[in-house]
Amino acid sequence: MTNKIGVFVCHCGINISQTVDVKALTTYAKGLKDVVVSEAYKYMCSDSGANLIKESIRKHKLDSVVIACCSPRMHEHTFRNVVESGGVNAFNLEIANIREQCSWVHNDKEKATEKAKALVRGAVAKARFLEPLEPSKVNVTPEALVIGGGIAGIQTALEIADKGYKVHLVEKTPSIGGRMAQLDKTFPTLDCSGCILTPKMSEVANHPNIDLLTYAEVKEVEGSIGNFTVTVTKKARYVDLDTCTGCGDCVQACRLKGRISSEFDEHMGKRSAIYMPFPQAVPLKCTIDVSTCLMLTKGKCGAGPLCVEACEPGAIDFDQKDEDIALNVGAIVAATGFDLIDEDIVYEYGYSRSKDVITSLEMERLINSSGPTGGEILLPSTNEKPKSITYLLCIGSRDENACSWCCRIGCMSALKQLYLLREKLPDVELNLCYMDIRSYGKKYEEFYRTVRGINSNVFRGRPSEVRKNGEKLVVDVFDTTTGKLFEISSDMVVLVPAIVPRDDAGDVARMLRISQSNDGFFLEAHPKLRPMDTATGGIFLSGSCQGPKDIQDTVAQASGAASRVVTILSNDTLEVEPLIACVDEDLCSGCGTCISVCPYQAIDLMKMDDGKSSAKVNEALCMGCGACAASCPSGAMQQKGFKDTQMIPIIDEMI
Amino acid sequence: MKKFVFYPGCVMQTEQYALDLSLREILPKFDVELVDVQGFSCCGEPLKSVNQMLSVSLAARNIALAEREGLDMFVPCPMCHLAMSECKRILDSDEEMKQRVNTFLKDDALTYTGKATLVSILDMFHEVIGLEKMKKKVTQPLDSLKVASHYGCHLIRPSEIGRPDDAENPQKMEQILSTIGAKPEDYPEKLDCCGALLNANLPETALTKTGQKLQKIEEYGFNALVDVCPWCHRQFDARQKKAGETVAAKLNVPVVYLTQLIGLSIGISEERLGLNLNLSPVEALQNGGN
Amino acid sequence: MSIIDLTSMGEPQTDMKDEINKRLLTLKDEFSEYCYQCGKCTSGCEAHKLLELEPHKIIALLKRGLIDELVNSDIIWTCMSCFKCRERCPQKIAPVEVLFALKNMVVASGKQIPGNYSMYLQMVLSKGLLQDEKEISTRDNKTLKRADLGLPEISKPVDMAKFMGMLSKLAMEKV
Ligand SMILES: Cc1cc2nc3c(=O)[nH]c(=O)nc-3n(C[C@H](O)[C@H](O)[C@H](O)COP(=O)(O)OP(=O)(O)OC[C@H]3O[C@@H](n4cnc5c(N)ncnc54)[C@H](O)[C@@H]3O)c2cc1C
Ligand code: SF4
Ligand code: SF4
Repeated sequence: MTNKIGVFVCHCGINISQTVDVKALTTYAKGLKDVVVSEAYKYMCSDSGANLIKESIRKHKLDSVVIACCSPRMHEHTFRNVVESGGVNAFNLEIANIREQCSWVHNDKEKATEKAKALVRGAVAKARFLEPLEPSKVNVTPEALVIGGGIAGIQTALEIADKGYKVHLVEKTPSIGGRMAQLDKTFPTLDCSGCILTPKMSEVANHPNIDLLTYAEVKEVEGSIGNFTVTVTKKARYVDLDTCTGCGDCVQACRLKGRISSEFDEHMGKRSAIYMPFPQAVPLKCTIDVSTCLMLTKGKCGAGPLCVEACEPGAIDFDQKDEDIALNVGAIVAATGFDLIDEDIVYEYGYSRSKDVITSLEMERLINSSGPTGGEILLPSTNEKPKSITYLLCIGSRDENACSWCCRIGCMSALKQLYLLREKLPDVELNLCYMDIRSYGKKYEEFYRTVRGINSNVFRGRPSEVRKNGEKLVVDVFDTTTGKLFEISSDMVVLVPAIVPRDDAGDVARMLRISQSNDGFFLEAHPKLRPMDTATGGIFLSGSCQGPKDIQDTVAQASGAASRVVTILSNDTLEVEPLIACVDEDLCSGCGTCISVCPYQAIDLMKMDDGKSSAKVNEALCMGCGACAASCPSGAMQQKGFKDTQMIPIIDEMI
Repeated sequence: MKKFVFYPGCVMQTEQYALDLSLREILPKFDVELVDVQGFSCCGEPLKSVNQMLSVSLAARNIALAEREGLDMFVPCPMCHLAMSECKRILDSDEEMKQRVNTFLKDDALTYTGKATLVSILDMFHEVIGLEKMKKKVTQPLDSLKVASHYGCHLIRPSEIGRPDDAENPQKMEQILSTIGAKPEDYPEKLDCCGALLNANLPETALTKTGQKLQKIEEYGFNALVDVCPWCHRQFDARQKKAGETVAAKLNVPVVYLTQLIGLSIGISEERLGLNLNLSPVEALQNGGN
Repeated sequence: MSIIDLTSMGEPQTDMKDEINKRLLTLKDEFSEYCYQCGKCTSGCEAHKLLELEPHKIIALLKRGLIDELVNSDIIWTCMSCFKCRERCPQKIAPVEVLFALKNMVVASGKQIPGNYSMYLQMVLSKGLLQDEKEISTRDNKTLKRADLGLPEISKPVDMAKFMGMLSKLAMEKV
């Protein structure tokens, strides 16, 4: 029991005081039992506010503090530090949220003030029963996991590794590199994507601190900040990585050579069933595609598998199995990148109706000199050179029927491609339909000006559809600059598609226990102040999995995420909140209900000296979710800081 | 036997007899019974430009009449089906509007409740009867008939209020046509308008629209154009000659109702399907399009 | 008002604009202010290809509140109701529905209605249907009545007086 309680009411500028009568509330609080001081201040979270609290604690020898202010999500941490430095245990603090739960959601001042009084009354009731708690310490595993090996994951992994910590980099596909490996030249500087990416990829491969796990997926994540246990499935490649030299003889020999559509080439080119996605792949090793390989699908490949025959070192192993490995890490970074919208959502633009309607990413593969056409721009339908190419921007973007958001790279990537196409095909007719050109980055607007000078036809308007007319693709567009409807007939239409989260983003989010914003991208802890953090401790975001980004922004965020990880790994131990479960062994009947509901396997049954069993909480594993306390039939399981003896008085007082 | 109140609308029962006739002829063969009800009026859609409150109330009145029979309602005309679907959407989600409309219906001793389900002409075949059942009845498949389908704007748009088929890639009509042996093919102008609604004030322009679409269909070498809407059909079939004049072309496109083709495929006589009422050159169909 | 259209000296009519927006909100969750003038509606407008209708401009004028300019123009009567604009608008706006609202406004204000619309109204008021039962000709130039085909009698309002009573009340109503 505490009986010297101080109540501190914050005006929050006018955020609270405009709707709640702060003066009346303060006077009211003063009259509550056990309250020895009640004061109001304009900004309780400011230095002066903090000093006011600290002085009151000293002057009135307070043993508990109630602060009526904004949500605990906002400032609980700040105020815990304040009361602690004033001499009261950090957990002898109770916050009455009279902003989000009161002033912001009501208009009627009188009623709002009454509600605020009830909230304060409840908080004081709980404060009487608060007990001091001490944070416990956990050891930190000085290793990190990075999920996704695009430029974001690569950058994050390298920077953590450079600081001397071990990094496990898990990539789903056979090679790292991500989307950037698929690109030709990059805006706004037009440096070749491969030239700036490949050195980083080999750095990853050779870094002593990086454990590269390609063709692998994270299956399970347990534990919490400082100590995660992770299960990673290494998918069977049917090729022994240590033996394979990456010579590619098997690729040439494969019976299905040139018959399997290549994902890396965005299905513009073909590969074998045994393949390396691209010549600079890291690791430069082969993988057998289990869904097409004749041996693996039919159990036989002609008179015998040609790849095995061709492989001199004997690296191929059809008996390989998926393998699960366990990792222990202190922090995790998600860097899973982005996808393009399913073009059928915007069916009117004809992607499914004509081979010559392609996406801008497919165009990257056509422009790229190591792409399926060796860098020649050819029509997919006829393999001839197009005489005219029309770009349509914002396909599915800024569209309430598809993706509300801006893809942030579409305009610039299309301008870049126009520039590159003009270089390759001096005589081709280039058209572009846009709504706005968004060239907001450094040197972007200058690049846009350059492209305006290269002889292209630019229309400001969104076409309604793409239709075929004989051999041509016809686009009608109302150009709002001239106020005229134009018909554009061209050989090829390039759609600049909306950027969406990876389709397994939901699964990854659930596994990591992080949230997604309503667009499906991973949600940061604060859009401005904590853009690399998630609301889950020890889990960070890197690159375009958090939202569409160009390479510059991706790399900036990737470095940020690395430094956030290092901030954690550089500690030997971490303090963890003591708001976890505890058992009253006398009350516990050993029924084990709590064990079955605990999602973290933090509870065990222990034999006591008197022979009966009792639940026991492993404090390092408990996350404080409260599931056990809620399910315990005898009330033996309690959650510190939220015990029945603390919560029931709130209810009794308030109603 | 499944039973439906048959809502005939205006154009079908006063002029487009072939649709009326063929529906009454084929549906019983698929165990669907149509119940005629006296007292229906215009669906309201053609008066939407004049006063939408009036048009919503007309639609509600017709639905209320069907509801009184305790049956679901078969609304073959796509325009009527649109009017009633929209009315339903508004009234079922807005209690105030429903009450307002019902105060008017009181004069006619009717109440709109929202109980009845509306069945469109496409779904009558595609969902209610089903392709499997249709297939079993086909005795004279329309082999080698290369046909273009015209859904009509009102059957597929606006998808927001729920239409019988996809707005951008409707395929139910194609599936029905394939079931009866014909060879439907998509064409770029498939989703385009027939122009009919401009007849009220700009009949020449309406005909130009009709003519342009028919011209394309002829160009692509289709054996016939298949439609389901009495408004569209009147443009494409009865007014084909005039439409040709507006685009300076002599058009020769056989235009048939989907129901007429279904009828032929299950062995019903041309006469019973009203094929002699089509004014476009449908003789070509009689020998399987050759 | 601080905004004037110097070509016509017109001023925004916010009341009428609000009336239209309110109507659209009742009939469907639509709010024309979200239009960002992408022009997709006009690019695909069936009427624009033959006439002067520019749906995006209709919305622009509505957003500006220049309602008189809209209701005084015959262009609003050139829509074919193909619903392509409503189907494809990336901001879920329906120029076609705005046009219906504007036309309703014209009718309510007693202005001249173009073409056959008044005849349609008269027919529905007096007969319940758009047109009388017709005699039709067959391909071989025979003339036929509905009954000749063995079709049942047409369905139309039974008590015409009651029906007309209801309709004439409704004709005064706004959404
Ligand atoms: C057509 C086009 C042109 C572009 N041009 C430019 C340009 O010129 N300049 C520029 O600055 N930007 C450009 N960009 C943007 C650029 O591609 C991105 O900024 C960049 O790729 C983002 O990198 P990332 O690592 O965040 O994501 P990604 O490149 O998508 O990488 C994510 C990686 O994670 C892996 N992964 C996904 N899910 C999992 C999982 N569950 N487990 C394990 N691994 C997983 C993926 O396989 C992939 O390797 C362009 C984009 C497009 C579409
Ligand atoms: S109404 Fe819709 S389609 Fe038309 S300009 Fe506005 S946002 Fe674009
Ligand atoms: S509904 Fe009218 S305005 Fe809209 S696209 Fe069709 S014709 Fe044009």
